[in-house]
Amino acid sequence: MSIVQFEKVSRIYKSGDHVLRALDHVSFGLDEGKFIVILGPSGAGKSTLLNLIGGLDSPTEGKIAVDGFDISMLTNDQLAEYRAKTVGFVFQNYNLIPTLTVYENVALVREIVKNALPPEEMLEAVGLADHLKNFPAELSGGEQQRVSIARALAKNPKILLCDEPTGALDSETGVVVLKLLLKMARERGKTIVIVTHNQNIAKMADVIVRVKSGHIRSVETQESPLSAEEVEW
Amino acid sequence: MLRKKLFRTMGRYKAQFISMVIMVALGIGVFWGFQMEWYTLDRTSAKTYEATGFADYRILSDSFFTPEELEAVAAIPGVSDATRFLRVNVAVKGDTDLLGLSVSSNPKVSGIYVTSGEDYDPSGRGLWLSDQYAAKNGVRLGDQLTLVYAGPSGTVEITAPVLGLAKASEYMICLQDETQIMPDYNSYGFVYISPVLLEESMGMETYTQINLTSELSKEEIVPLIDKALGRTSLVLSKDEVVSWAETQGEIEEGVTMGSILPVLFLAIAILTMVTTMHRLTASEKTQIGLLKSLGFKDSRILRHYSAYGLTIGLAGSVLGVGIGYLLAWYIMNPDGAMGTYVDLIDWTLYVPAFCWIVLAAVIGFLTLLSFLSVKSMLRGSAADALRPYSPKRVRPLPLERTGLWKKMRFSGRWNLRDSLRHKSRTGMTLFGIIGCMVLLVGALGMNDTARSFVTVFYDEATAYESKLNLSVDETENEAALALAEARQGDWAAMSSVQVGDAPVGLEIYHVSHGLIHFIAKDMSEVTLSPEGVYICDRIARDNGLAPGDRISFSPYGSSETYEAEVKGILRSLSESVILSDEAADRLGIPYAINTVYTRETGIEAGGVISSVQSKQSILQSFDKFMELMNTMILLLVVAAVVLGLVVLYNLGVMSYTERYREMATLKVVGFRDRQIGRILIGQNLWLTVLGVVIGLPAGVGVLQYLLTALASDYEMKLTLGPITYAVSILLTFGVSLLVGWMIARRTRSIDMVEALKGVD
Repeated sequence: MSIVQFEKVSRIYKSGDHVLRALDHVSFGLDEGKFIVILGPSGAGKSTLLNLIGGLDSPTEGKIAVDGFDISMLTNDQLAEYRAKTVGFVFQNYNLIPTLTVYENVALVREIVKNALPPEEMLEAVGLADHLKNFPAELSGGEQQRVSIARALAKNPKILLCDEPTGALDSETGVVVLKLLLKMARERGKTIVIVTHNQNIAKMADVIVRVKSGHIRSVETQESPLSAEEVEW
Repeated sequence: MLRKKLFRTMGRYKAQFISMVIMVALGIGVFWGFQMEWYTLDRTSAKTYEATGFADYRILSDSFFTPEELEAVAAIPGVSDATRFLRVNVAVKGDTDLLGLSVSSNPKVSGIYVTSGEDYDPSGRGLWLSDQYAAKNGVRLGDQLTLVYAGPSGTVEITAPVLGLAKASEYMICLQDETQIMPDYNSYGFVYISPVLLEESMGMETYTQINLTSELSKEEIVPLIDKALGRTSLVLSKDEVVSWAETQGEIEEGVTMGSILPVLFLAIAILTMVTTMHRLTASEKTQIGLLKSLGFKDSRILRHYSAYGLTIGLAGSVLGVGIGYLLAWYIMNPDGAMGTYVDLIDWTLYVPAFCWIVLAAVIGFLTLLSFLSVKSMLRGSAADALRPYSPKRVRPLPLERTGLWKKMRFSGRWNLRDSLRHKSRTGMTLFGIIGCMVLLVGALGMNDTARSFVTVFYDEATAYESKLNLSVDETENEAALALAEARQGDWAAMSSVQVGDAPVGLEIYHVSHGLIHFIAKDMSEVTLSPEGVYICDRIARDNGLAPGDRISFSPYGSSETYEAEVKGILRSLSESVILSDEAADRLGIPYAINTVYTRETGIEAGGVISSVQSKQSILQSFDKFMELMNTMILLLVVAAVVLGLVVLYNLGVMSYTERYREMATLKVVGFRDRQIGRILIGQNLWLTVLGVVIGLPAGVGVLQYLLTALASDYEMKLTLGPITYAVSILLTFGVSLLVGWMIARRTRSIDMVEALKGVD
């Protein structure tokens, strides 16, 4: 069953006379509980896709249904609620609040989600139980990304959206983060959508969505995806 | 090309740039306005003194000065010029108005400046009337007026046409007596007549003063005058005359005011600039690094970024000078605040030279500020410069070890750490709120204090309706007593005495009908003791006297010295020694009753009554005083609100810009715009609470300083009503909430995608 369904979705950016079709009449579906990689070169429209699924942006045309619910016409407040309850984000640049400790960065989701998971538990799951009182600037890049994952999962979302989550990390740390993402998703039954231009990451995916020039080139299902260790980095 | 970048960057940071230009304009505008005010008054009053031959000294006498005595005084070495002079209050027939009638036998000293009509003619048979009085009362050139003078030897009427309209420095502040605080040309003005008309009307020459110009000091000239006239005389220097002393007081007040308010404004403007420029260049650091790595020389980059400070300085200065002129004109114009007080022949605005120096210094400082901010970013290699600016690392606060921290919500923790991480921004916000609060408490407190002063001195201390000024000498006290008896009045004998070297008033009162009340320093009412004397606060302060001490004073024109115990210190409008008639009798002080107070109204001058002053007319002069004060208060309140708005908005935008990514993260996580807005407003509110707590006592302190520095003559007691507290606090919170709301609204337009794709 599709947890995400795009129907003839377009996203057009206008700047003066210049019109950019970041997505052009895109239709596809993503199944629940899968590890999905959206693959494409720079400027293909893959981040636009992710932003639309995440409710950071709205389509110019078409309809997007997430978990059977149309999110394409939501108001700002409804989108905020959708982001709070349905999706979790992991960014390339972590985007932690520098003036909050590791614990507080995760705990802040309790301000907006009633049944948020315990921050201590989430941080233990990502291996940072000893760094609760540290500030982000005191952690390595990989550790910061793990905090970001813990924060995203603490909301107990249905979908975890990751925009180049290993883009700012060295390959070794990148593998650790990918393994963690995969483990969390599998154990907790989450749908994971990763946007990347790294072909290697795609080898781990259940589903690969290839994007080019604002169009979906293909949606491929991999019967036997590789584990992080099996991929050659 | 870099010029295009300059303007585009300004466009990008337009809120900060506009705020900085406004801050600089306000700082310079208020500074220039206040400095121009006192400097213009200094220059134009000097012009008026010079044009009308303002006298340096006045020799007063109970008898009339003869031409021989004038010659003797004029012959004193060091005396430049002298005149016999008369100044007496006369009534306008058919009206309740009074005029100060003056005659100068030598119009070069204590003369007039004719603004329209015929030139002054020493043998002319007409009137040269105050142009202000004429304008207020619809008197035109050629109109016939009858002046009624009630003197000891009977009533004299002078009927003559108005030949000219004029100004006179002797009446530059045209007050009837010390009970009047503000001129009121509706009911009191001045008129000059020629010596010829005086002699024809009076039948004799009745000059009671010799006015003279001299460079000599009072200590030098008094013995020479006494020697020339062969007797001890009461000599008043110009410092002891209202038209000089009050004008100089206004100038000094201007200097004092100019050293507080404008300096506060300039300081806030400059400090805000320091913070803002640093933040701007910090946010431009990667671009600075980029230019450097492209091969631009440091000097070129420095010139480019210094242009930001220079542009802000120039734009702010041009606007500021405009504001300064407008402010100075608002106060210093014939119909403005100063125009209702001082009557000048010229109202041209003048700028003190140092204002230009301050202007150049501010522009130079702002340019230097940009220069230094960028210089610090250019340190090291191009690679160093390319690295984004990173604020200081966050360190745990001592508060985090307490239970309070655990109870704090995420928003409180975030705001507190952010405030402490950006100390200069927080400090400046606090400074802006304190400044706003100080100005509000100062302005509204001044209003409360003045109102309480009027209530105490005029509503409570005076129960009479009419004050009758008598023209009697001490041999005619019987007539005065009979008048007081007939009118069921209280009476007083006012004269001048010397305490130390200073001339002060001696006021002897007989209060049997409760028409006069005396107010102690603690605002309680005092009944005059039958023994000893009371002194006003200024005499106590100047002579280091306290209750129980003994004071010596000697009446002018007498060789007697009296010594008495100081029974208490009173709040008094006039600088006087005050005692009861019983105490005066016990001390053996002779006196002439020259004032009767009564509840009756509608009394006309005549007989022993030389003039009548109604309580109503005194209160009307206070209405003008309050009107003037209200204008100043409105200006201060507007300034406070503008200051608060601009400073808080500028810093609010800065905070918003610096927390943009963090807010975008919160939005992505699922926070609503309202929730993020509330967090921003919360930070502002906490700083406002702190600013109010500090600003309230600071405002009271500034007001106390201003009262001591500017209004010690009125012996006002600092009074702050609950409404002042409430309005000051609410207005400050209002400004803070408004700015918070304006900034919070911006959270709606946070572009999460744009904000979060940048480099950390």
